[in-house]
Order: sequence, then C-alpha cells, then structure tokens
Amino acid sequence: MAQMRILGIETSCDETAISILNVSEKSVKVEQDLVSSQIPIHQKYGGVVPEVAARSHVPETVALITQALGKKGMKAFDAIAVTSGPGLATALRVGIEAGRVMAMLSGKPIVGVNHLEGHLASSWLNAENRKRWQYPMLALVVSGGHTELVLMKEACKYRIIGQTRDDAAGEAFDKSAKLMGLPYPGGPQIAKLALEGDVKGFDLPRPMLRDGSFDFSFSGLKTAVRQAWEPWADVRAHGNATLFEQKKRDLAASLQQAIVDVLVTKTISAAKKHKVKGVLLVGGVSANLMLRERLALEIKTQLVGVAFLPSDKLYVTDNAAMIAAAGYWRLKKGEKHDWKKIEAKPEWNL
Amino acid sequence: MKFIIHRVEDWNLLAQQLVQRLPSNAVLTLSGPLGAGKTTLVQAIARVLGASQNPRSPTFSLVRTYKLANTSPFSTLVHVDAYRLESPSDAITLGFDELAAEDGSLLVIEWPERLGSILNALHKPIVRLTITQDSGSEVRRVDFLMN
Repeated sequence: MAQMRILGIETSCDETAISILNVSEKSVKVEQDLVSSQIPIHQKYGGVVPEVAARSHVPETVALITQALGKKGMKAFDAIAVTSGPGLATALRVGIEAGRVMAMLSGKPIVGVNHLEGHLASSWLNAENRKRWQYPMLALVVSGGHTELVLMKEACKYRIIGQTRDDAAGEAFDKSAKLMGLPYPGGPQIAKLALEGDVKGFDLPRPMLRDGSFDFSFSGLKTAVRQAWEPWADVRAHGNATLFEQKKRDLAASLQQAIVDVLVTKTISAAKKHKVKGVLLVGGVSANLMLRERLALEIKTQLVGVAFLPSDKLYVTDNAAMIAAAGYWRLKKGEKHDWKKIEAKPEWNL
Repeated sequence: MKFIIHRVEDWNLLAQQLVQRLPSNAVLTLSGPLGAGKTTLVQAIARVLGASQNPRSPTFSLVRTYKLANTSPFSTLVHVDAYRLESPSDAITLGFDELAAEDGSLLVIEWPERLGSILNALHKPIVRLTITQDSGSEVRRVDFLMN
C-alpha cells in the first residue's frame, strides 16, 4: 500500500463534508476538504436550523462529491470512509447511502467510521503531531455535543475514561451566551468578550473539579450564569451602558475560566494517572485560545516530556478529512465493510 | 397537579410519582427556561425506569435513545430536544414520525413549544410538565397537565 487516497464522507449532524485524503509512506495530504458550513444561515435565525441542514444534506452531498472527484471521477479515490455514528439517524443515512452507492459503482472498499475516532484522527492530520505520535495517549474531545476524555492505549484501541454527565462544554458556552443575550455561536463571542474581562468578576462553580473522577458536569453552570447575570441584565435599562458592557465582559471571562479550569485540571490528572506520552486536544471547543494555551502550559510544567498534540484549527469542527484519516487507520488494519450491510448507528459508543 | 422541588433529591421523588401515572405510549413534554432542570428530570426518570445509561443533554444530537430495564413498563426512553429547531417542520429532520410510531417507547420532549401542533397529530396521550422558578430562588414549581 504505497499510496492510498480515501474519500471521506461526513453527515452526522449539521454539516455536510467531503474530503479526499492522500496517504503515502512519506506524507499525509488533504487534497480536498469541502464543508458546506451552515453558520451564515444560523446567524440569520439566532440558532442552528436543522431543517435547512437536513434538507441540504442530500443536494450538498451530491454537489460536494461531484466537486471533490472532479474530472477523475471514480479514479480520484481508492477507498471510502463514511461516518456511521454516533449522530442523528436521518442525517447519518444520507452520507451512508452516498458511500454505499460509490462503493457499489466503483467496487472499492468502504469502511464505517466512528465520528469520535474521526475527531481523534484530526490531530494526526498535523505532520508535527505525527512525528510525536506515541501510545499510550490521552485525548480531550470537546465540542458542542462532546466532552470526553479518551485513553488511546494503542492504534484503534480506546477507552472513554471520563465524559460529561449532562451538557457538553460547547453547549455550556452556547447556552450561557444565550442567557447573556449574545448571538450564536456563543463560544467565540464569550472568548472575545473574555479578553477584556476580569476572571474574578463573578464567582462561578467548578463542578466536580475535585471529586476524583474524570467526569464532567456543565449543566449547573446555566443556573449559575443566569443567577449571576440577573442583577446586571437590567443595568443598561437604567442608563449605565458602560457598567453593563464591563459586567458582560467579566461574566464571559469568569465563565471561560471556570470551564477551562475544569477541562484542564481533569485532563492533566488523567494524563498523570495513565502515564501517557501524548495529550490530544480536538473538537470545536479546542479552537478556544485560552484552553489551548492553558493546556499547553500545564503539560509543559506538570508533565515533562509529554507531547501536546492539538489538531489544526482547520480541522477542529466537523469535517471529512478527519473521517478519511480515521478510515485510513481502519483500512490499514485490514478492516473493510460490506457496502450492503453498512448502516447508521446513532448511539455508537467509541 | 403541582409539585415543588426544594432539593436535588426531590427530582427523584417527582420521577417516581410521574412514572406511575404515565399511560403506556405516553408522550411527556417538558417546558421551562434554560437551567430549569429539564434534563435533570429526564435523568431521574431514566434511573427510575432502569435505563442502560445516564442520559446526557440531547441538545446537539437532537435525539438520544436509551434501553430500559425489562421490568419497566416501557422498552426504550427516547429523549428529544427541540431547542435547536426553528420551525415545527424541522421535526422531519428529527425523524420524528419514525420515533413516534415506535410502540412501547416513552417519548420525552424538551422545548415542545418548538414543535407546534405536530404533537397533537400523534394521537398519543400527552403529559405536559412546566417547570417554573422565581428569580433569585432555587425552588422550582412543576405543573402537570394530562390530556
């Protein structure tokens, strides 16, 4: 297997994404990386619009595959990797059906990929990270729908050693932002405001910080943010806009600090306990600069010799390059699935 | 009917009483603002019914399903969150008709307001819960409506 080009298909939730990943012994190259981002539409309505998302999964999948293959057609790839789960059944099926058709028509192998494994593989897309790739590793997966600590003992062997018991970290950012009257998506808004806010401005809880487990709980933060914000929400109505803006920045900073504190503390103690050689940081929330910097710093000072392996910002949110990469891991192990039998697994655990 | 929640443990008591009253094939809707305790109540219901896993927020995934204990009057718990839906027709996205057609499952729906009149078209018994909370107070009031 001197060279393998994998067609990646991702439709597990809101995004439709198609990629072609070219893996050889010397290099890993993302030849195509197409994501039909829905963000502008969400912004118009102040929230995600799944109707638009699902309706467009079908035409978007066809359009993006056509664009990715170009004139080479079926000769543009050697194998197919498609997200089989977890995710929304109706959305997953669109990508899977597309993958099946491509497999049937081309006669090329297809492999069903776990979306979470895709996120892990997003870190591997970075050449520097690949050089320092050494098991066992620990991954912090943080996004709108995920908050998991995954122990990677060896290639394709995983154990979830910690996860959220209620809301995901990205959800905590988004819903807190909503409570503060900020536009969607909330995470980047909070991060921006936090730059000029006082992290000690509000006293917010660090749920489960010292409970000895590697689990998280962010649900209570919503109540805490609402209660903290209630006295200030009307300040603007009383004419003090400057104070209102400053309090908003302080709350954003305090909230970001609370979430990052918990994520970093638990990741470091899990990494110590399992004596890992590398720590991955992946998923949409990993775009948060403060989280990146804090985790990098704590690893440097507390885990000497341990590699910090964040994925490139290009691949933190849902994309198909990471699905193709995880597909490559599976294919390399000799795995492939019968296109007739491949199916959506909405509740697939890693 | 009313129920007052003073402490976290009270959600369990509410779940126990609620489960006893739920008709088979019931649809349970949970209304209330962000942070009211809707998902906490679903977690308590799941415990009472012996769910395979502790439910997590379905906001991002829209739907999560859990197998229930053999002794439970329901086979599965289907936890739906309509929070991210902008229009009732979005329910098609959820595969809502498919979920609702399944017999023996308990369908629990957060943010039912966003589904509009679709719920009535299911021809299933609907139990509506509304959680309210006064500002500055930790006490929650839960109101029931069965129809």
